Amino acid sequence: MLVGIPLESKEARPSRPIDCAEEMSSYLVEVASDRSKVAFAKIFSYFAPRLRSYALKQMGNEALAMELVQDTMSNVWQKAHLFNAEKGSPSTWIFTIARNIRFDMLRKLQNRKEDVCADDLWPVLCEQTADANETSLEEQVTLEQLGHLFDALPVKQRVVIEAIYIDGKSQQEVADELEIPLGTVKSRTRLALQRLKDMIQEHD
Amino acid sequence: MINFHPTSTQLQRFAEGNLPPSEALVVSAHCDMCTQCMAVVKAASEKVAAEALSKVSNDPSLDAILANIVQQPVAERPSISVPSIDTIELDGREFKVPRALRRYVRKTGNWSSLVGKLWQAPVDLGDMGMANFIYMEKGGRVPEHTHKGSEYTLVINGEFSDGIADYDSGDFISLDGEHTHAPMSDADEGCLVFSIVDKPLHFTSGLARLLNPFSHLFFK
Repeated sequence: MLVGIPLESKEARPSRPIDCAEEMSSYLVEVASDRSKVAFAKIFSYFAPRLRSYALKQMGNEALAMELVQDTMSNVWQKAHLFNAEKGSPSTWIFTIARNIRFDMLRKLQNRKEDVCADDLWPVLCEQTADANETSLEEQVTLEQLGHLFDALPVKQRVVIEAIYIDGKSQQEVADELEIPLGTVKSRTRLALQRLKDMIQEHD
Repeated sequence: MINFHPTSTQLQRFAEGNLPPSEALVVSAHCDMCTQCMAVVKAASEKVAAEALSKVSNDPSLDAILANIVQQPVAERPSISVPSIDTIELDGREFKVPRALRRYVRKTGNWSSLVGKLWQAPVDLGDMGMANFIYMEKGGRVPEHTHKGSEYTLVINGEFSDGIADYDSGDFISLDGEHTHAPMSDADEGCLVFSIVDKPLHFTSGLARLLNPFSHLFFK
């Protein structure tokens, strides 16, 4: 008989379960309802060292790691009322807060503009008011406008471009049809494309 | 019915917070529409959380942080929540936008007509690039193209086909330079999609080839 490998061996080393979910949930409720510093201290002493371990690994830098821990726990203190035990365990909730803050911190470190924020991607702390700053968009060149530019081409060039790009004819076919030399078709195509390009750049 | 989902790797990396932002945005919007993937992400997040928080690293400076935090005054909770705009309008029709994309409704420019029965409203995502809401009327067609980079598309409302498959509301489509496709809608109601490309499209046929020198101005 082969040496049996128990089926559950795959799960033999489960990540250490956070076994005190109920206890931590009740502390969070106390923080939310009474601003209990004692309850928060219990949550903190359990989670902060764990967050620190995660943060050191993710940020690779003591100062940034501590910033991540501080911001995460500070959110727990301020937003405990948003925790809902029915939706998940305290550890998952606190981790997702940390994950979101890490995401925003990394974006900031890369000098990214705030074009995406973690709470849009993973709605953990949804209580934000709507973003008030409306950005007015620069006018974009549309295909329609390209059509207008296209109309502005000299007729001889436009005919060639239409035949090649819209009707899908070869340059030789166009030359035969218009009874002009192939070289002329080629130069008209080149000039027309150059002209369109210039017009679009001016438009920009 | 939703038939096209992000891969399990994409969902796992999304739960970890390690998916690139533009990809994460479309995955997030898909999860808003897909209870199945939402559940997968939830389960993955629990697992990732348990693992991430399994080790302890104590440090004396944590005490100071604790003291600092409990001294913070209670932040004021916003008393009035301004409802965010959750629909996008085109030609009198209103489409419900998934939660993840709502913030961008305000950053969406005006609809403009592209070739044929095709409408586009650009969404400025800053350095993440340009996204677009694209609406295909019945019979509307995006010229056949391939991608120099990646394209992530979410069907928000309606149905379309692209020569590779048929898609329905909620479907998540991830394409790159290996794919050439020509999306078109035959649905009476047309089709609204949200699409992010990180590099200009490369058109592969007909009139549209004319667009290649300028495609960075349009579909990006």
